[in-house]
Amino acid sequence: MFRLYFIILLVCSAMAATAQQDARITGRFENIDAASFFKQIESTSPYYFYYDAAQLKDVRVQLSVSNQPIQKVLEQAFAGTDIKFAIDAQNRVFISRKVAVSTTLPAGYFSNTASDVEEQKIALQTAGERPVNKVSSEVKTYEIGVKSNQSTDKNIIITGYVRNERSGEPVINAVVFADQLNVGVQTDQYGYYRLNLPPGSYTINVQGIGMKDSKYNVVVYGPGQMDIDLKEQINVLKTVVVSAQKVANLKQVQLGVERLNMDAIRRVPTVFGEADVMRVVLTLPGVKTVGEASTGFNVRGGSADQNLVLMNGATIYNPSHFFGMFSAFNPELVKDIELYKSSIPAKYGGRLSSVLDINLKEGNKKNVTGSAGIGLVTGRFNIEGPLAKNKTSFVAGARSTYANWLLKLLPTPYDRSEANFYDANLSIHHQANNKNNFYLNAYTSEDKFNLASDTTYGYSNQNFNINWKHNFSSKLLAVFSTGIDKYQYRVHSDKNVVNAYTLDFGIDQYNFKTDFSYFLNLDHTLDFGLSTIRYKLTPGSFQPLGDESLVVPDIVPAEQAQESALYLSEKFNVSPDLSITGGVRYSFFNYLGPGTVNYYAAGLPKDENNVVESKNYAAGNVINTYHGPEFRLAARYSVTPSFSVKAGYNSLRQYIHMLSNTTAIAPTDIWKLSDPNIRPQQGDQVSLGLYKNLKENTIETSVEVYYKKIKDYLDYKPGANLVLNHHVETDVVSTRGKAYGAEVSIKKTTGKLNGWLSYTYSRILLQMDDSTIGNPVNGGNWYPANYDKPHDLTAVLNFKVNHRFSLSLNTTYSTGRPITLPIGRFYYGGSQRVLYSDRNAYRIPDYFRADFSMNIDGNYKVNQRTHNSWTLGVYNLTGRKNPFSVYYVSENGNVNGYRLSIFGSAIPFINFNIHF
Amino acid sequence: MNKLLPIFVLLLLAGCKDRYDLVLKPSDTSLLVVEGALDAGNGPTTIRLSKTLKVNESLAFSPELNARVTVEGQDGSSYTLSPSGLGRYFNSHLGLTTGQEYRLRIKTADNKEYLSDFVRALPTPAIDSVNWHKTEDGLMVYVNTHDPAQSSRYYKWDFDETWEIRSYYASDFEYVGGTEIVYHPMYRFRCWKYGISQTINIGSSAKLAEDKINEAPVLLIPFGSEKLSVRYSMLLKQQALTKQAYEYFQLMKKNTETLGTIFDPQPSELKGNIHCVTNPAEGVIGYLTAAEFTQKRIFITAQDLNWSYQQACYYERVKNNPDSIRAWVPSYLPFGGEEIAPGVVTYYYMAPAACVDCTKRGGDLNMPSYW
Repeated sequence: MFRLYFIILLVCSAMAATAQQDARITGRFENIDAASFFKQIESTSPYYFYYDAAQLKDVRVQLSVSNQPIQKVLEQAFAGTDIKFAIDAQNRVFISRKVAVSTTLPAGYFSNTASDVEEQKIALQTAGERPVNKVSSEVKTYEIGVKSNQSTDKNIIITGYVRNERSGEPVINAVVFADQLNVGVQTDQYGYYRLNLPPGSYTINVQGIGMKDSKYNVVVYGPGQMDIDLKEQINVLKTVVVSAQKVANLKQVQLGVERLNMDAIRRVPTVFGEADVMRVVLTLPGVKTVGEASTGFNVRGGSADQNLVLMNGATIYNPSHFFGMFSAFNPELVKDIELYKSSIPAKYGGRLSSVLDINLKEGNKKNVTGSAGIGLVTGRFNIEGPLAKNKTSFVAGARSTYANWLLKLLPTPYDRSEANFYDANLSIHHQANNKNNFYLNAYTSEDKFNLASDTTYGYSNQNFNINWKHNFSSKLLAVFSTGIDKYQYRVHSDKNVVNAYTLDFGIDQYNFKTDFSYFLNLDHTLDFGLSTIRYKLTPGSFQPLGDESLVVPDIVPAEQAQESALYLSEKFNVSPDLSITGGVRYSFFNYLGPGTVNYYAAGLPKDENNVVESKNYAAGNVINTYHGPEFRLAARYSVTPSFSVKAGYNSLRQYIHMLSNTTAIAPTDIWKLSDPNIRPQQGDQVSLGLYKNLKENTIETSVEVYYKKIKDYLDYKPGANLVLNHHVETDVVSTRGKAYGAEVSIKKTTGKLNGWLSYTYSRILLQMDDSTIGNPVNGGNWYPANYDKPHDLTAVLNFKVNHRFSLSLNTTYSTGRPITLPIGRFYYGGSQRVLYSDRNAYRIPDYFRADFSMNIDGNYKVNQRTHNSWTLGVYNLTGRKNPFSVYYVSENGNVNGYRLSIFGSAIPFINFNIHF
Repeated sequence: MNKLLPIFVLLLLAGCKDRYDLVLKPSDTSLLVVEGALDAGNGPTTIRLSKTLKVNESLAFSPELNARVTVEGQDGSSYTLSPSGLGRYFNSHLGLTTGQEYRLRIKTADNKEYLSDFVRALPTPAIDSVNWHKTEDGLMVYVNTHDPAQSSRYYKWDFDETWEIRSYYASDFEYVGGTEIVYHPMYRFRCWKYGISQTINIGSSAKLAEDKINEAPVLLIPFGSEKLSVRYSMLLKQQALTKQAYEYFQLMKKNTETLGTIFDPQPSELKGNIHCVTNPAEGVIGYLTAAEFTQKRIFITAQDLNWSYQQACYYERVKNNPDSIRAWVPSYLPFGGEEIAPGVVTYYYMAPAACVDCTKRGGDLNMPSYW
């Protein structure tokens, strides 16, 4: 049918072209719009124009003619445009764009048909492979959609990937911004963006971290794909470009989101000179740590287990190496990080305080490149490149330590210490076609150490996942993911053959999730999806080691559970100034058999004497279920283009808990699932923020305040035993918490001198409100948590002396953390001993540290095969002995007070990196 | 660079630990401390009562004097412990029966009454052996025991120790006083010193297939210690504990002895089995236990060990005239001399008192009966 109409159409056009009249036109047209132009001609000639005003609204005419035929006049007027015309015998002029499809046949007869034809044409094109614009030149003008069929829809969707032109890797969090409308979006973790625009001509501005800011001229006729290849800032490894979010901080609806790319991370000096993701996270406002030997971090009063740490979607249970001195993420492979402190998107759940999302590189799709680095304690090697050019890429990296030779240099007894760790990553990305992308990620890490004792500790993470990203249409996008996350530790001791043992703990987690994004129209975007996690925990397996061991195997039975969630969230742009995101996540938790559960008498303390029933459950039986809604609401109002106000409310639930009665995360901390005796933790947070950009968005300032309530947080009874405890509920106490604070931050993102300054005031107080606890901590009154550090001032400054040399200074001050100190002393067992009472009633002295580093780069010759760089610096420049703890201990009959500092002096470091 | 490395790695891994005292808030807390166990065997029972002190108080010990201390049996029996000074309450032989339950009642001079829970008098198996090994850090003394009945499972050990010391210089002279020095061969050359365990030593076989304790460490004598300069003896006493008592002592040990690592647990309150009847809110430190004690004595001789105890000593030649002698004694003491004729000394050899007189090193001149 289509074919027939099309032929008729062509025939008619040809006929029309022959039917011309000979009236002449004279006139001057000074930059007037098309409609006025046609009116003027109509008033002085027999011609009558037929056109769609909307199609021509951006057309201006600048012309001076004298006694010309109508064809000449129109040709001149629309020279260089796509406007076509046809004139019929009745002196009717039909104006259209692109193809001279306008007919000389009676307009009423054919006009509808013609438009039908074209709709079918579009439909045909979209059903097949839609033409993809590959955008990389700033001079050309690109057309999106089909010119001849200008959509009347005011809401055209343009999608595409923003990639690095050199490597083909996606550029995450790049801002794609239409200047004329002040409308912008950010690319997602795959570099994918979706922009809604009415038809018209635009200048599309694209800013990506480390990439050259680029502008493209685009004419939008209809929906289409536009992939953008960005050029790298040629000295990308060296400069200090943090420009990607120039406006993002004002435009995004979310509060409490921090984004950093690897270049910013690399600048912050760390103890051994190796860039470290977690150390930099600790410099962000609202993030604290109990001390230097811990990569556990506390976000807005949350405990360390309330952070969901994701690396390319894989949950990392222990993100540290080497007593917490290093984080588990190979810095050469990390592309960027996002930390959600307040507005946690509805697609995330399962932890109360924050989500730390670490994105790894996708791999160079064009050339094989890599890097190698060597520092005092670690060496690393990374390689990336195409497996199939422009389609499939891989990244692989490995890191290992050779610290043992250093430990041998220590005086006795520490020279008998041993410590080893390694980690390895592999990621593969395959772009099957424009609609289907596949991502595979694998990670493994292992730590082993022995601190001059007969006990050896080891732990490891293993993660594997596959993601399939599919575009159903330009409006509907989905990501399907499945994977396995494992964490386990082993402690063993073999010196005393009779008591020799191994102690194992493990978490296996099987995930499946799917996330959908649906762009309803310019003002409404829907995100929805579901996720499910199957947990299998081995809470403790104590086994004899060797033939002579008399150890009786003691195995705490495995626990299993299913945690599932459905979510739906909508982003609604009420007006250009007001945006609202509303989300609901409904989570279900089923604690599953096989297992034995003790039930305790109501109203009595949970202890072994009050067990009323001990019930066995068969495999697969649902022992109990918790479920409930979680709300994620945020609103942003732009008061002026450079000033926004945001507010948010978030609630979250957590079903898996880390049990630790040590201050720092210890390698023997275990995790426990919620069960009939241990309720899920719940958190509610309200927050309010003010954001103001100064000096053309080069300085970003913000103030955020929050108040948070935590329910059923787990604290511990005095002397709690958490390892190999078959009824751990008798040793933990459900506690409630309240946290509040304010975060002030000033960021300068560009220029020779850049960096950020942040001040945080925050409190976290706990209270054992369980009436069945006979002897609550601090008599049931509020007490500060271990990581309650009210004041924190951090400055990270970078100064770029020239392209090859830059200086960085990181200074931080914070209130000392609370500790429990003795209230008295007594003599017992041949020695003076100390007596403790109220928990966390004292504080260790305040913390202050300044670190300094210099980054020296080799030359910048683009064609050179390798590029190298040095990092030199000093950690703890002032040599201040910052106490990690202050404690009193009985020695030789007396009580002595000590201060333990992890770094008691200034520590120089050096690091060498080579890129090829 | 290579020279720097060990230094900062040391700082890093050994941590940087130095003496430090925070200003502690003054506290009025003064709790009763009850230390001791009821001996259900043939030995004496001593209960020691004291009060807790402020951490930075100079007083070392505040004994609770003039209390009335009685042991009550569940069978209605009653035994009295009589004060024997320094807060000690003593009974040479209570004559308790193992398997029976007993409790302790204390009435202090300020009319407060304290009462323990009933505790069962436990039988204790014999100590199999006490042995030692040289380790990288010194000499480690271990205990080995087992319970054929497989019922003890939790153990506590305390010890009395004795070691002989000898003066660096065997003296032929005794400084009597003033400037008078008399001939006295082997004057104050051998002494004996006494000590008690200063750590809480507990062990458990609860996780083992047999009730067997294999080489549980009870004492580390660091290299170069005076204790092994000549000969050392330990009388190790063993008692069986209940699980609750074991947990109490384990917590006390964690709170007071093993802090100072990166992964320290939180110190926490101790809750024992003794309560204040007069004021139930008042805490009491201590855990009453009752058991038959078993014991074993061992000797370790320095010659067998290649031990390297070094006392830093030197001597001066001092002319034998009152003025010269007065200038040196009593911080220096004579141990030898230069004689021009029998009994005619021209010069004395004098060394710091601790090098000559073993009592100046805290020794006791009486040889113990078991030596």
